[in-house]
Amino acid sequence: MPGSPQFTRRSFLAATGVAALGTALGGCGSSGTAPAAAVAPVSQADIDKAMATPTELTFWTWVPDIDQEVALFQRKYPAIKVTVVNAGRGTPAYTKLRTALQAGTGAPDVSQIEFQYIPTFTITDSLLDLRPYGAEALRDKFIDWTWGQVSGQGGEVWAIPQDTGPLGLLYRQDIFDRHGLKPPATWDEFADAARKLHAADPQVFLTNLAGNQAAAWHGLMWQTGAKPYTVSGASDISIKVNDEASKKLAKFWGGLAQEGVIGTEADFTDGWYAALNNGKYATWITAAWGPVFLAGAAKSTAGLWRAAPLPQWNAAKPASGNWGGSTTAVVKTTRNPIAAAIFAQFLNSDPESAKLFATKQFFFPATKALVADPGFVGDTPAFFGGQQVNKVFADVGSTVDPTFGWPPFLDQVVTDWTETVGKSLTAKTDAVAALDQWQSRITTFAQGQGFTVR
Amino acid sequence: MRRSTPLTIVMLAALAYFLLPLFWLVVASTKSTEDLFTTFGLWFSDAPQFLTNVGSTLTYDDGVFVRWLRNTVIYAVVSASGAALLAAAAGYGFAKFRFRGQAIMSSAVLGAIMVPATALAIPTYLLFAQVGLVNTPWAIILPSLVSPFGFYLMRVYAQDAVPDSLLEAARLDGAGEVRIFFQIGLRLLAPGLVTVVLFTLVATWNNYFLPLIMLNDPNLYPVTVGLAAWSAQAAGGGSGGNSDILALLLTGSTLSVLPLMAAFLLLQRYWQSGLAAGSVKQ
Repeated sequence: MPGSPQFTRRSFLAATGVAALGTALGGCGSSGTAPAAAVAPVSQADIDKAMATPTELTFWTWVPDIDQEVALFQRKYPAIKVTVVNAGRGTPAYTKLRTALQAGTGAPDVSQIEFQYIPTFTITDSLLDLRPYGAEALRDKFIDWTWGQVSGQGGEVWAIPQDTGPLGLLYRQDIFDRHGLKPPATWDEFADAARKLHAADPQVFLTNLAGNQAAAWHGLMWQTGAKPYTVSGASDISIKVNDEASKKLAKFWGGLAQEGVIGTEADFTDGWYAALNNGKYATWITAAWGPVFLAGAAKSTAGLWRAAPLPQWNAAKPASGNWGGSTTAVVKTTRNPIAAAIFAQFLNSDPESAKLFATKQFFFPATKALVADPGFVGDTPAFFGGQQVNKVFADVGSTVDPTFGWPPFLDQVVTDWTETVGKSLTAKTDAVAALDQWQSRITTFAQGQGFTVR
Repeated sequence: MRRSTPLTIVMLAALAYFLLPLFWLVVASTKSTEDLFTTFGLWFSDAPQFLTNVGSTLTYDDGVFVRWLRNTVIYAVVSASGAALLAAAAGYGFAKFRFRGQAIMSSAVLGAIMVPATALAIPTYLLFAQVGLVNTPWAIILPSLVSPFGFYLMRVYAQDAVPDSLLEAARLDGAGEVRIFFQIGLRLLAPGLVTVVLFTLVATWNNYFLPLIMLNDPNLYPVTVGLAAWSAQAAGGGSGGNSDILALLLTGSTLSVLPLMAAFLLLQRYWQSGLAAGSVKQ
């Protein structure tokens, strides 16, 4: 509708398209503005018929060796052939998926998507609501907060959780012992320990809060009880990345960074890996996938690490956040919605398949059954001195708030965070002021994209 | 020419600036993932294992790296030879013939040099999606076949390197225009042709964004996209993160620059004479 004085958000998004957003927020032209079909359950007879009809599904995922889990599905449904395509991970993979959706051809039937990216695909109406295919019945199998993450504002089920990353604290027992420290129960104790440790040994920092890692910051916001993004309706969003909870967080970390008693170097870099190996940092605030990752990245420190829950703001009401983890979603353009939806559900809820993810890929599970499974939580890895690390993170998982939500333009939010808050941490400037800059940048961006910001 | 000490120092600094990263890469590709983090970056560790790394790189995931390398060679060689031939034909035509609209077309092509190929990647994807060419090798080769810069170079080169009198003599002897181009023009243009081949070879070899969005099948990836996928897997944390693959990533990077270095050393004779072409008006 060029020439019309009032652009609707959707037409505006479609017009700005790929280039303006960097990542295609632009709607899939063909799907138009038609309202989602009412939720009428697909009958069991239809499902049985579809699952017995020879069908080919394409599944984009970055998970190594996922063929094993897919094979379980194909054993149960021999008529369905699933082609697994490793289409990469992270921003490049999502760019690829968006480009294919934009073109209306080349997109897979089923795709691996991280929790925080789900809203960036539902805003363009690109995912299939799984409720008609029996997804609701799975709700009780999954840990509460994971189901909250995949649920839409209208109760839609946009994806099935696969793995998770509740936040905890990995620490060097030897360094703690040497300086008479114990895992801090509160953030106040944590700050005291940071000052004490750095004063005792100026080469060592209690932890590193990476200035490039917006995902960890969001996890900490989550723990603090912030509700930074709330989408309501089709184009209304409330952005509060500088609310009281977030200000408390920024004051805490910005203060420690300004005092110089914590590190702020970029993570997953050469220097950071070296620091984890040589004991420059006594802790790593990380997610439940961290222990396995660390065991591979810091082999020289085997046996020295232990796990503990995050320090708390209120020790009487323990809370945590999440960092990472992913889901299986069905792409709306699929020509085989039933087979695709059943596949997404089977892959993550079938006990055998879900267990395989935990034991072969070392994923931290999303199902209640597995985090209570003695075989899983009873594991005692030597890297952590025989501690039941999974048990620590399983307990943390039940304290994660299920109502935390993500923005539909995550990439922009992450970029802006790195340039404001992240920069203030590394530059030792006022982190609370940086929070306000972050807020105003996202607000301006959202308005520019046609959102009503409240 | 007199030796200048300050200039020598500047050049040595520049040399170090360009060679140190390469040296780091070579050193790093001899280390295990553990040694990468625990030993000094610019020197070898106590237990160099370059061959072990090469072995694991070439065999990881059923030898997918070898496929990537082969794909890159195919894409780069086909694109480079095709682009050189097209650029030579077009440059020769523009230099040696007068036709209507020549000035406008020439400006249009020159203007195209200013448009980065990356900016065209997504429109190209949408076009290719319409005709079913995405996720095929053609999606990489076809856009690489046109090189505005190559055209410009060949046009300037043809102006000087192919004498009009020679063409006239050939015409008087009864040769057709096509035969003149292939048997006389192309031979005289050879040094310029090599330059264009090298430019396009490097451009296609290093092309990342176009194959990233065009190709979904890892078996069709070129080395650039494949290594980026490994990098994401090694350094992302999150689900399926695996830092053990870092050693393979570095070894793969080393292996992937070797063929380009070989191509440059072998062809540099031609490419130098091609570069200087047109710099002085005769």
